[in-house]
Parts: sequence; structure tokens; C-alpha cells
Amino acid sequence: MSNGIILALIGAALASLLAGIGSAKGVGLVGEAASGVVSVDPSKFSKVLILELLPGTQGLYGFLSSLLILNRIGILGGNAADLTTAQGLGFLAASLPIAVVGLISGIIQGRTAAAGVSITAKKPDHNGKAIIMAAMVETYAILALLVSLLMIVNVSI
Amino acid sequence: MSGIKYAKAVAALRAMENSLLSRNDIDQLIASRSQAEMNALLASKKNTDTPQSTLKEVWELIRNYAPDSEELKILLYRNDFHNLKAVIKAMIHNRDPKIYYIEPSNVSLETLTEAIGKKEYELLPEHMRQTAEEAYDLVTETLDGQLSDTLIDRSCLEAMQEDAAKSGGEFMQRYAELTAAAADIKTAYRCSLLKKQYPFIEKALCGTKELEKGDLARAAAEGTEALFAVFENSGYSDAAALLKESPAKFEKWCDDIIVELAETARMQAFGPEPLAAYFIAKEAEIKDIRILTVCKESGADNETITERMRKLYV
Repeated sequence: MSNGIILALIGAALASLLAGIGSAKGVGLVGEAASGVVSVDPSKFSKVLILELLPGTQGLYGFLSSLLILNRIGILGGNAADLTTAQGLGFLAASLPIAVVGLISGIIQGRTAAAGVSITAKKPDHNGKAIIMAAMVETYAILALLVSLLMIVNVSI
Repeated sequence: MSGIKYAKAVAALRAMENSLLSRNDIDQLIASRSQAEMNALLASKKNTDTPQSTLKEVWELIRNYAPDSEELKILLYRNDFHNLKAVIKAMIHNRDPKIYYIEPSNVSLETLTEAIGKKEYELLPEHMRQTAEEAYDLVTETLDGQLSDTLIDRSCLEAMQEDAAKSGGEFMQRYAELTAAAADIKTAYRCSLLKKQYPFIEKALCGTKELEKGDLARAAAEGTEALFAVFENSGYSDAAALLKESPAKFEKWCDDIIVELAETARMQAFGPEPLAAYFIAKEAEIKDIRILTVCKESGADNETITERMRKLYV
């Protein structure tokens, strides 16, 4: 296996790993807050569930980027391309935006959504505002995903 | 970042805040004509199955959601030290301390009784050990209950301020400071009225950042005029004016200022502060219901009852 393939695989792993950690932390935090509300008022389950789902998207973005890298380097088809070190570094670099931004934005979005759970708990009618505030963080994860995707599809093999 | 460990507890308590009594509810309670009507109104405000009619139940609820909330223990120091006084006196007079023991408390009655009875003070939390030993020795040697009470009360306020400073939380520090200030103002005023001497007053006061112990003790020994002059120059001139007017109004101020502090935690999404605020809010609410019930039973008019109602969190 060439150095290039190993570097590309590290890139694919990082995208799923870091973005996944960010999402797991974020979803976990909102889940804690949500379970606190549901233990008092179970009727608010559906409202807090939306907030809990929001930080989960970073993990999906990381997964998508990883799949794309694996597809491009031929690992998924069983025919791994013979990549140069420079090409491998290209895939590794392409994975970094979603890996790093996914990790940080997942955690931060989790905090914002967990704070939003308090809004839902006290004023259920204002749940939409809590969702909007948490969704604002999502913008940066989407931008990072776009950059990663553009880089992945444009690394020449 | 450590505040996020309270995410579940804060969210749960925010949901429970909807069941706290508002000023409107209190007005309806005041206007109610019978105990049954009051009970029906109180029952309609419940939105959880967990009983919260006593502070012990409220404390247990908070502890269930936030079991390792060390900072919150400061809220119970006054009960802990009251229980210490009760157990020492009950043991000296061969009475059952159980009837004087109040809950919630950080120290169980069994632990207190064993620690004092066997002089095993290490069983007590660190901040109580020396005080317990000194107070017990003082009361057995001098048989002066007032001296030991003074020592315990002062130690309680000092422990609150020291532990709040150690915890680093601004909210708890302010809580300890306000509690100490209110207690010092009350003590200094009473000492002044009773014409106590400087050494006694100095031992009874704890002192805060704004109310220096020495100045306060000297002024109290000089007389009420000098004492009020000290209050006027501190941040507690409003409290002094109320104290001049009536002790009942001052007592209300003492409770209200703590609820005002609790209101500052309303906007916080994480941390122990919203939990402490909820406890304070329930404390004020339970006190209001108690005052209201007693006033109704004694036939006080609605205007008098309204005057005595404490500020509410909602």
C-alpha cells in the first residue's frame, strides 16, 4: 500500500472521527437537557427531539466526506488507486475542513441547543426561536462540508 | 465549561418553574375565602408528580438531578448550624434533639448526635468541627447558651463566606455576603438596643466586604444613631431605613434581596446558579404560603397580608 493511499485513508478516518465526536458530544448534551425536561413534562418530547437532532448533522457530513474519499480512491470498489504522496496529502487536506469544523461546531451547537431546551421548557410556544438559534451554528458546518466536498472531487488522480 | 454538567438539572427546573406561584396567584390566594379554596388553587399550579411542599422535598429533587453539586451545600449551612445549636442544647438539657432538628440539612441528626455526644468532631464537615468543639466547651463551662449561640451564628456566616469564596462562583459569594450582611445588621441593631459592650458585639458579628466588623461593632456600642450612620454610608442604606420603620419590613427586605439575587440566574442556561435560584424561589414561596395561612387564621385583613408577602421569583 502506497503512502498516498495511507494519507487519504487517514483523511477519510479523520472526517468521520472528529465530526462524529463533535456530533456525539453535542447530541449527548442536548439529550441530557431534554431528558431533564421530559422527566418533568413528557408532552414536550417531540419539541425537544428536534433540538437534539440538530447537532447530529456534523457526524453525517463527516460520514459523507469519508464515503466520497473512499469512493474516489477506489477502496469501496476493491480497486485501490496507486496514489502519490502529494495526492494522498490532497485528500487528507480536503478532509480537514469538515473534520475540524464538524468537531467544534457539533459541540457548540450542542450547547446552544441545550440552552434552547430551557426555552422550550419554560415557553413551549417559542420553540421555533430556540431551533433557529441552534441552526445558525449549522451554517459553518455546511460551509466546511462544501469546501471539503469541492476539494475531494477536484483532487486529480 | 463545567457548568454544562448541570444541563439536565437546569432544563428540568426550568420546566418546573412554570409551577411556581406568581404575584397573580398570591393575590388570588389572599382573596380566597377558605382554606379549601386556597388548597384548590395551589393544587392547580402543580405540573409535576414530585411533591414540593416542603424545602426538604425541594432539596431532594434538586439533589436527584444534580447529585454532585458541592456549591449548593452552602444554601443549607444555616440549617446545619441551627441543628448544631439544637443538638448541643438538647444534649445538655437531656432532651430529644429530634424535635429541634430542621431539614434539609447537610449533616444528619445521627451524625450530629454522635459527634457531639462522643466528642468525635471529625465526623462533622470540616467547617463545623472547631465551632462544634468550642461551642460545646463554652456551654458546658459557662452554661451561657447565648454565648455559644453567638459563636455558632457567627461561624455559620464565616463558613458560608469562606466556602463560597473557595467555590469561585460569583452567585454563591453574593448569596453568602448578603446573608451575612443581613444577619450582621440585625445583630448590631439588637446589641445596640440592648446596650451590649464592644467586646461582645465584636464577637457576635461576622463582617462583610461592605460592612467592616470593627466599624459596625464600635458604632453599635456607641448607640443606634452611630450605627445608622454606618449603615447610611454603606450599600445598605435602604435596609437601614426599613429597619428604622419596622423590624417586619426589614425582615421582608432580607428575604427579598435574596430573591432579587436569584433573579439574576434566570438568564443562565448552565451551571449551579439556576438550581440555587430555584431553591431560593421555593423557599420564598413556602414562606409566603406560611405567612398567608397564619395571617388568614389570625384574621388579618388583606392589606396587611399583602404588605407581608415576600417578593417572588416569577
